[in-house]
Amino acid sequence: MNTLIDAKHLSLRYGRKAALQDLTFTIPAGRVVGLLGHNGAGKTSLMKTLVGLKRPEGELRVLGLDPHTQRGQLLTSLCYIPDVAVLPRWARAGELIRLMEGLQPRFSADRARQLLKRTSVTESDRVRHLSKGMVTQLHLALVAAIDAKLMILDEPTLGLDVMSRKSFYEMLIDEWCDGERSVLISTHQVEEVESLLSDVMMLDEGRLVLNISLAEMDQRFVALSHDPDAAEAVAASHPLLRYRVQGRPAALFDGVAPDTIAHLGQRVRPSLVDLFMALTRKPEIQASTPESA
Amino acid sequence: MHSWNDQAPIYQQLADRLATQLLDGDPPEGEALPSVRALASQYLINPLTVSRALQALVDEGLLESRRGLGMYVRDGARVRLMRSEREHFLQDEWPRLREKLRRLGLRPEDLNWEDA
Repeated sequence: MNTLIDAKHLSLRYGRKAALQDLTFTIPAGRVVGLLGHNGAGKTSLMKTLVGLKRPEGELRVLGLDPHTQRGQLLTSLCYIPDVAVLPRWARAGELIRLMEGLQPRFSADRARQLLKRTSVTESDRVRHLSKGMVTQLHLALVAAIDAKLMILDEPTLGLDVMSRKSFYEMLIDEWCDGERSVLISTHQVEEVESLLSDVMMLDEGRLVLNISLAEMDQRFVALSHDPDAAEAVAASHPLLRYRVQGRPAALFDGVAPDTIAHLGQRVRPSLVDLFMALTRKPEIQASTPESA
Repeated sequence: MHSWNDQAPIYQQLADRLATQLLDGDPPEGEALPSVRALASQYLINPLTVSRALQALVDEGLLESRRGLGMYVRDGARVRLMRSEREHFLQDEWPRLREKLRRLGLRPEDLNWEDA
């Protein structure tokens, strides 16, 4: 089975408000797909729909199953981190490991203990004594110990410090990028995850405005960094977005920059954040600042 | 975390880094490169992007893919790389460097040609 998610014309409404509008996409095995969108764009709704927590209109198969009617079966091969990760406050980390062992047939307690050793959480710690970031680390260790085919992660790095984020990214690449599994991850740390992704999906007000592999993205979108003098000529050729790269004006084009202006500047790489801004046109919401470690 | 600039696609930047290492003889001609997964892990890059970087080096005649074994440095890769790097320097970097030297009024005899 090469296609892990197959969605056709998915729509979801909350009363009169349309949360998802006519989404059609597939996610094959072996991909790391970044799901980008402003707050309220529908990322969490989409993820909840994929794991069977919301019933959409349209056709949906996840791991070949109907998430709504075959949810139990689906959850044995899928792991999901919701945007609000809640663990029972009274429990100790070690107790949660034993609990998971009884609940999830593909869970490895040894693996969870191994992963936990890399964090600052010990097995005897109670959840209520952990910081927010430590709870997230514990949650990640529990979920990553499941031998799943598909990971659906809603803001998994929220509240994590730089070191913990880095070890999460390492785990993602080392263990989940095996060519068989796929990961769908939403995050506002766009710059940090860009190099980890194979594909990007962008949601804007419930619509899928872009669904593209990074390889296609490199070919299709072109940015031109130019001198201020050339600004008028560049603006006249209708770029998707005008912005700045290291202080120099730049313009983003869908497809090759028109011949008339290609000589006015130097071709640069449009970053995911720039592209996101261009396609969703809400520059007031800034992506995270890049951290160097 | 490795930093990638806005000048070129990430796969191209990785290809350039690997090419720089090849020029230094790492790994030497005839030897294997680390696996895609090892490189992905080292640079924290998606394996599909790593494969594109390696393919770019294959296209430049620097690597060859041996079925089931991985990527190997081709014979003559360093000479070829040296030639293209020199060309690149003379065409793209030297004019800018020369311009800067002129602006600063520096002449060849002002420059230290010995190792520090």
